[in-house]
Amino acid sequence: MTGFIQRNAWTLGLLVLFLILLGTTKSMQPDFGVSGLESLARAALPFAFATAGMAVVVIVGGIDLSVASMMAVCSVTAAVLMPSVGGVAGVLVVLALGAAMGAINGGLIVVTKVPDIVVTLAMLFVWEGFALLILSTPGGRVADWLQASTQGSAIFSGLPKALVVIAFISAAIWIPIQRSKLGLSIYATGSDESAAFRSGVPVGRTRVAAYSICGLFCAFGGLSLASLTGIGEPVPGPYLMASVAAVVLGGVVLGGGRGGLLGPIIAVFVLRIIRTILTFAGVDPNVTTIIEGTVMVGVVMLATIVTYQGART
Amino acid sequence: MRKLTLAAATLALGGAFAPGAFAAEYTIGVSNTVQGNGWREQMICAMRAQALVEPDVSRLIVAHRNTDSAGQLEDLNNLIAAGVDAIVLNPSNPDALNSAINDAIAKGIVVVAVDAGVSAEGAYILSNNQEEYAYLGAKWLFEKLGGSGDVVYMRGIAGVSADTDRDNGFKRALAEFPGINVAHEVFTGWQQDQGKQQIFDFLATGIPFDGVWTSGIDNVIVDAFVESGAPLVPIVGADNAGFVQYLTTVDGFEGAAVTNPGSVGGAGVALAVDILNGNAPNATTVLVDPVLWENATAEGRAVIESAQNPNLDPEWPVSVTIPGWTDYSMEQVIACEGPDA
Repeated sequence: MTGFIQRNAWTLGLLVLFLILLGTTKSMQPDFGVSGLESLARAALPFAFATAGMAVVVIVGGIDLSVASMMAVCSVTAAVLMPSVGGVAGVLVVLALGAAMGAINGGLIVVTKVPDIVVTLAMLFVWEGFALLILSTPGGRVADWLQASTQGSAIFSGLPKALVVIAFISAAIWIPIQRSKLGLSIYATGSDESAAFRSGVPVGRTRVAAYSICGLFCAFGGLSLASLTGIGEPVPGPYLMASVAAVVLGGVVLGGGRGGLLGPIIAVFVLRIIRTILTFAGVDPNVTTIIEGTVMVGVVMLATIVTYQGART
Repeated sequence: MRKLTLAAATLALGGAFAPGAFAAEYTIGVSNTVQGNGWREQMICAMRAQALVEPDVSRLIVAHRNTDSAGQLEDLNNLIAAGVDAIVLNPSNPDALNSAINDAIAKGIVVVAVDAGVSAEGAYILSNNQEEYAYLGAKWLFEKLGGSGDVVYMRGIAGVSADTDRDNGFKRALAEFPGINVAHEVFTGWQQDQGKQQIFDFLATGIPFDGVWTSGIDNVIVDAFVESGAPLVPIVGADNAGFVQYLTTVDGFEGAAVTNPGSVGGAGVALAVDILNGNAPNATTVLVDPVLWENATAEGRAVIESAQNPNLDPEWPVSVTIPGWTDYSMEQVIACEGPDA
């Protein structure tokens, strides 16, 4: 039990922080209830998938600056395809497209040996251009069931469907991978690439796989954007920096090898609820981003200090 | 001590009776997705100033950041959860926000979209009348040319609703003046540098023309004439501070500015309060008619002089108020402070 708490101290700490913030929200606005939770989960949806994808590539020791652009490509593809091929086929095509874009990112990094940050920065513009080629202005339409899939509650009132979607999809993708050889290779490559290579880990293939998983999560992110708005938007939203922030806040070490997906996803909810609280408080919008950034740095600093203290004793 | 108790009791009584008895206490939420653009900043400041002077508004919550439609949905849902009585928004897209707007309307929240429309039923739309904007300016120009001549027609962005509406207005004026001929038609993309290059290119061809109608990319067109040494022709633009200044300062320049105020935001707040107080307009779409300021007559010059204010942000449209809609003073909109500040 103590071992479990120690191993997951960061994630549990974030969960406690989220619950405190939830309590604050409730005390500021006593009406905050089921629909408030549903809105929160819906707002978190695209951020959660962008963050999950980013977390995987950070764990393997890289970074992907093109996540928001890949999400835009996926959302416009869904909105353009679905009226003609239908919802299910549209979703499958988009998921394959996402994984393929991720694999291209990873492949370019491995083959050219150009640093991740440079390759994915270039791909940010490439994918953004593709999104605009597919749909030059916001439009298209997605299947009604896709829109309904993130609205309201599932199983019982108060359990937002969007939260179930996030939990189910990230668990279904990540848990089997984490427990497989590929998962071990991802963590090994992220910890020390040359040591992993000498131990017989196919580091190149592992990196491509990790970027492809990131692309797959971005496809879900793009689908969730389309689900929320009902249309496709070619201009990428603010998901790149937000995902890096949530990854760091979620306890994934930039540099690789450590962390998981649960912490970053809880971090997404923490960041979203801070915005809700600031809206309730009617804080000047120009000050809002300053507070968001300060809270983030503060939490990471505090958590780092606590973790190091814990490690020493 | 007794005095204190008495004072506290008086305060409590006053507190219980004062509000509600005289004025409603509405909370209004604002949502906007473009930050740092002069027109949008004027819109936000007009919303704040109007909320300040509306006696029935006690609080204004502003969600104002650069984001996409999903982000605007988040902001709208937060405003709904914050328990606002009305939401005034500049929509990022006409169709993408319907889930939140329908939720708001179902909860009895008044929704007013300013500047652009939304397709959700039951939402009110208040925007500048773009067709009238083009008609007014084009008609002035064609009259100025005596009903005959060649004009350069510099549009905005193809496919954007404001450009389509303006094109309809321009064509309506054109139909009234059969002697007017469009010598050259281009899309400036509402980009200063692009518009300037396009007029340079056309001046270089040597094809004669008698006037220019622009869709708001205006002061750089005057610059192009001055820089290339070409004789100035009448030019129609919008009420951007730079162009309005040229109307009074450039020698031998005759032109007109048509207002396209960002203060429709303030009008949106006024409309929301009217609806909350039971004075809803008959139609859900309300158009604000533009006004034309020309420098060819003494009266026109006087109007332009009075509209200018050195304290005004140069990026803002000069028309900071909308007669019949907004109630704040120019100082109040420049101060940009809402009821909470």
